[in-house]
Amino acid sequence: MARKKTANGAAQDISTATTSTDSIPSPPSPDRPPGPLSLPPLPGPREVVKVNNYSTTELKNACDDAVKRYLSRPELFQQNHQHTDVRLALGWLSVFVAGGTGLYGYKVEFEQSKPVVWVGLILYMLLTFTQTLYSYFIEGDIVFVGKRKTFSKRIITERITLSSRTIPVSSSSSNSTPITPPQYSLSLSYVRSTSANKSLLAKGKTQARAPYSRFFDAEGGMDGDAFERWVGEVVEEGMGGLPASKES
Amino acid sequence: MFTEELKAFRRLGFRHVLLQALNFASVIASGLMIWKGLGLITNSESPIVVVLSGSMEPAFYRGDLLFLTNPAAERYHNGDITVYKVPGADIPIVHRVLETHDGKSRGSSPVVQRLLTKGDNNEVNDIELYRGLDYLERKHIVGKVRGFLPYIGYVTIAMNDFPQLKYALLGGLGLLALVQRE
Repeated sequence: MARKKTANGAAQDISTATTSTDSIPSPPSPDRPPGPLSLPPLPGPREVVKVNNYSTTELKNACDDAVKRYLSRPELFQQNHQHTDVRLALGWLSVFVAGGTGLYGYKVEFEQSKPVVWVGLILYMLLTFTQTLYSYFIEGDIVFVGKRKTFSKRIITERITLSSRTIPVSSSSSNSTPITPPQYSLSLSYVRSTSANKSLLAKGKTQARAPYSRFFDAEGGMDGDAFERWVGEVVEEGMGGLPASKES
Repeated sequence: MFTEELKAFRRLGFRHVLLQALNFASVIASGLMIWKGLGLITNSESPIVVVLSGSMEPAFYRGDLLFLTNPAAERYHNGDITVYKVPGADIPIVHRVLETHDGKSRGSSPVVQRLLTKGDNNEVNDIELYRGLDYLERKHIVGKVRGFLPYIGYVTIAMNDFPQLKYALLGGLGLLALVQRE
């Protein structure tokens, strides 16, 4: 369990998680744009999310979707869809190349079609390979990339990137160590600067983890409020300001 | 059963639907490309075929899966089991080569041969099946049988005799790919 070193009382000091890198202290409150916790929850009943409790994939996907929904509210960040779009573009292009090659091979007699089918096959393999490399190296664990521009005395641009992964159940060799349930690990990197990135105002990296059992009940229903509160705390900590509470 | 998934789609937006559809489409695309790649490597139009008739018993029975290759530079000999397609006929036939008459290799084709075939379980050779031709040429040969798997071909036969099975399988696969997220 990561333990956070809390600052000595003052709200201006940054509290850093044990895994965070250096953070630049943020300026006094008037310059700091509102964080997600300061926003009231959306009116109306929340849509119930129900997943299979035994599948960590479904749990992680539900949490990732909730993060995206929460942080892309109009008052908060605007989501940058670049990673998704690249994956969609490469993927659909390879599908069309495959379809075209298949159609050509069907219409034209085998011996004559060979050169074109070779070209199509090589193109398809290149596209698939590129997509795999992009997903693995460039996209990695990232689930949300967002940007926000606020205006208070000067235009403040904020950039935030969140990545998540599941920490699986740890098997312990000795009987004395308790087995930890699967946990959701959220990592966040945050940059705040003035317009055109001329001067850096704040920068932070945070990491937090919480067991899935904190947000999902026995039937698999998700407690959206608790999850959003937790995410809000992590984001606020990354933005600099409120110290995050220790996780259970 | 689908209300949960439909709600999820509406909630997660258009990009998500595209991503899930991409999952399904890329499975189909990769299967197609593997098939085409196999065809190119083996130089055969259809490198895996199913035996439909009993004309090659006791070597091959109906429902056997056959693996073919068709190297352009290799000459075929008496006794080779080949799959050929007569121009004008839909289905390829798998029979044994009875006679070969070799010619000198010309510019475009490395191997020039004329072949006569006959099924092991048939009384007469295949001249009747050639639709007017007196012999087969190399360009009619789909490939030579290199190996086989018994019984597996019955799945294809079933799907051809009952097309509903094919659509049911495809539909099931599609559904699975659309609602699952890797």
